[in-house]
Amino acid sequence: MFRKRKRNRQQTENVQAAPPSMEELKQVRLNGDLEKAVELIRGVLGMNDDFTVRRFQAFGKYPAAMFFYPNMIDMSTLNSEILKPLMYGPPHADVIPDGGDKLRDFLLSETLYHSDIRSEELVSKTIGDILRGQTAVVIEGVEGAILFGTRTIDKRGIDQPATEQVIRGPREGFIELLSTNISLIRYRLQTPDLRVKTMDIGRRTQSKVAVCSMEGITNPDLVAEVVRRLEQIDVDAILDSGYLEQYIEDNQMSPFPQVQYTERPDKVVANLLEGRVAIIVDGSPLALVVPTVFSQFYQTVEDYTERFLMMSAIRWARLVALVFSLVFPSLYVAIISFNPELIPTEFAVAVAGGRAGVPFPAIIEVLVIEVSMEVLREATIRLPQQVGGALSIVGVLVVGQAAVAAGFASPITVVIIALTTIGSFATPAYNAALALRLLRFPLIVLAGIFGLYGVMIGLILIANHLLSLRSFGVPYLSPLVPGVLNGMKDLFVRGPLWWMKARPKLLFPGDSSRIGAQMVEDLKAPPNNVLDPKKQNDGREEN
Amino acid sequence: MENQREITTIQAGAILSSTIIGVGVLPIPLFAVRGADSGAPLVTVCGVLFAFLGLFLITRLGMRFPDRSITQYGEEIIGKWLSRLGSAAVIGFFAVLTSLAAREFGEVVITSVLTKTPLEVTVIVMLTLAAISTRNNITTFAYIHQFYFPLLIGPALLIVALSLKNAEAINLQPIWGNSHEGMLASVLTIAALFQGSFIITTVIPAMRRPQTAMKASVFALLISGGLYVTIVAATVSVFGSEETKNLLWPTLELAKATSLPANILERLDAAFLAVWVTAVFTTLNSSYFLAVKEMSKLFRLKDHKLFTFFLLPAVFSMAMVPRNILNMYEIIQNVSRIGLFVTVVYPGLLLVVSVLRKKRGETSEKRSAT
Repeated sequence: MFRKRKRNRQQTENVQAAPPSMEELKQVRLNGDLEKAVELIRGVLGMNDDFTVRRFQAFGKYPAAMFFYPNMIDMSTLNSEILKPLMYGPPHADVIPDGGDKLRDFLLSETLYHSDIRSEELVSKTIGDILRGQTAVVIEGVEGAILFGTRTIDKRGIDQPATEQVIRGPREGFIELLSTNISLIRYRLQTPDLRVKTMDIGRRTQSKVAVCSMEGITNPDLVAEVVRRLEQIDVDAILDSGYLEQYIEDNQMSPFPQVQYTERPDKVVANLLEGRVAIIVDGSPLALVVPTVFSQFYQTVEDYTERFLMMSAIRWARLVALVFSLVFPSLYVAIISFNPELIPTEFAVAVAGGRAGVPFPAIIEVLVIEVSMEVLREATIRLPQQVGGALSIVGVLVVGQAAVAAGFASPITVVIIALTTIGSFATPAYNAALALRLLRFPLIVLAGIFGLYGVMIGLILIANHLLSLRSFGVPYLSPLVPGVLNGMKDLFVRGPLWWMKARPKLLFPGDSSRIGAQMVEDLKAPPNNVLDPKKQNDGREEN
Repeated sequence: MENQREITTIQAGAILSSTIIGVGVLPIPLFAVRGADSGAPLVTVCGVLFAFLGLFLITRLGMRFPDRSITQYGEEIIGKWLSRLGSAAVIGFFAVLTSLAAREFGEVVITSVLTKTPLEVTVIVMLTLAAISTRNNITTFAYIHQFYFPLLIGPALLIVALSLKNAEAINLQPIWGNSHEGMLASVLTIAALFQGSFIITTVIPAMRRPQTAMKASVFALLISGGLYVTIVAATVSVFGSEETKNLLWPTLELAKATSLPANILERLDAAFLAVWVTAVFTTLNSSYFLAVKEMSKLFRLKDHKLFTFFLLPAVFSMAMVPRNILNMYEIIQNVSRIGLFVTVVYPGLLLVVSVLRKKRGETSEKRSAT
């Protein structure tokens, strides 16, 4: 409130010198007076040196002006498809109308051969469109401005998604441009049921946000709630989908992500077909998917493209990695400092021998190595790739080896930390891995104080927190708790595709079955061995 | 919040069994052999049957009044002041039960794992953990119990299975036992271990289909009772009844005596205790939740969170009352026998009066029809 008032005051102070602001132009219309229009638009945008006003005579007799940002548009289109017909006039027309609505209709329907074209009367909207990269043309005597969709923003090519690579599966990833991203989704989902609703969020950035859902599958209440939460956002800037995530998630204080992000269009499509809602922001290559449950963070696209038996086993490996990255160091600390009798005697002796020269208690040793590992990891992310390799060799091999040789850490500690770090990389979702990485530290401290008992207390606290989380009302640990039998086919193992006949029940989809009943019957039929030698030979003899 | 009806029958069963299975698993073989030597499993079965009587009464009552819990329907059945007295007794009893369970587990921990840690620390850690988790609503409460349920059954069955290689069937004979002098006392003590099942009175108003509550009760008692009988039988068959009498926590000794094949872990007692923290946690969580929730209903508050930390100092100081382990078990036995009045006699009285006065709560179908 205070800030708003302050800004208003500033505006009133400058009012003598400054032209009318956007607020005041809200209701002002373009009434066919060219000079007035130029003055108004120049007043708002003219302070920028990259803004261009091009005056010309339409059909050689009507004074006109063209407004655009030359860096945001395609100049050759502007020249050949807009400026040229405007100046020459159509060759087939005998009479050119004398201004007014007739002239505008003549321009729109007979003269200009540009497909994305419309007329706009409000000054503020015209200015908004110019800012987005459209070109506005105002002609003396014609009410309103004619707007052309000439926006061409340089974009990078569609590459492999860097954070979600697969061996088997599509290799396309989202890019920053919203229109391209929507096209990537639409060509995978060629159905009229795909609904895209767009809105502008961010007072200054006016970022375009698209909410995608499937008519007839996605629960309408869910879409309405997503839109409601998005509409409530009133901030200066949305620079990435990550900003949105933090405003729409249910529990902001939780370390666990309650919104999934992905840069894979195929993953978005799969989620849409399960009954989820995708949110894409212009300028961000990462789409958000809601609601999210925990099991999604260890599933990958490849789980579904490769055969189910192999991928179930690999999913188990991933689960082991997940558990490793959370509890391994704390279990080590607890066993070494409190219950060495648990591990086999020979091994306990070996561990004790390794720790013989280490002056610190196990908890300090593990914490120091863990923290330095985090520092190392952070350093390698920032470095250019050419140096990164060298740093990891120096950091991991040399420092690790030297730390052990210097008696600063025991070899087994280094092994444990290495396994933990690798385990956290094996979790497909970076944001979930981050949460587990962070929670490892309190667990280590608890293990140092209370041993295994402390580790259990910590795990119970984490589990209780997970159980109390909900994402848009869907319990975070579903389908494990509350148990949904159908969902469990895709929880610890990835069941065959034809087992998963129904969409996730807790998303309350409109149409719950995704596999035709007849097809499942057909699958059960004995295979038709057409090339069975016996059959082939019999056939030949008959001939 | 009060009208959330999301708990399924399976969840209700899981709540009941994980509430029942608690720290009592550790001394139960001792209680059982004191009653009838080698007849210990039989004593346990009798205890389970007796406990079922109490659970049956309270479930029946709950099903008569599917929208309310004992503090609420008590007022309708026997009048405001009498029922308030009864409810206060229930709340007080479960607060004491919470404190004693925390104390008992604290003793176990400082005796066997954290020998240098002061008792107060382990007790307060356990109680704080329970208090924090009690702040969730009843749906999350049900989720918590459902989640930990397999963690309670699994390790206990594992210990039993691994101990079978040392078991001698002769130790269990005669099945009838040799002397039956202390049998009734033992049956009552074992039945008292099932007092946590009283939580059903708080669960029924949140159940999706309260009429299936009886199914959940039977299921829970079969699981927890079955587990207890199995553990008693396994312990007695490994140690023999006379040896078991000399052990304070025979189940823990059983865990010590077993080891995993291939020598992955040389001893299982510390690991078993660590996993057992969850069992104790679920029990504490339930009894604390019951006390707090019924207290808020007694004072007609909408939200029970107010009392979670308010009750903590009282519960903690009660946990510190027993002077030592022996004194603690004496108190536990006395308290739990008094508790039978609260958990069996009081609901029984309410049920009889409600049948005589033909009082009955509206079922949810009737309510939705009007």
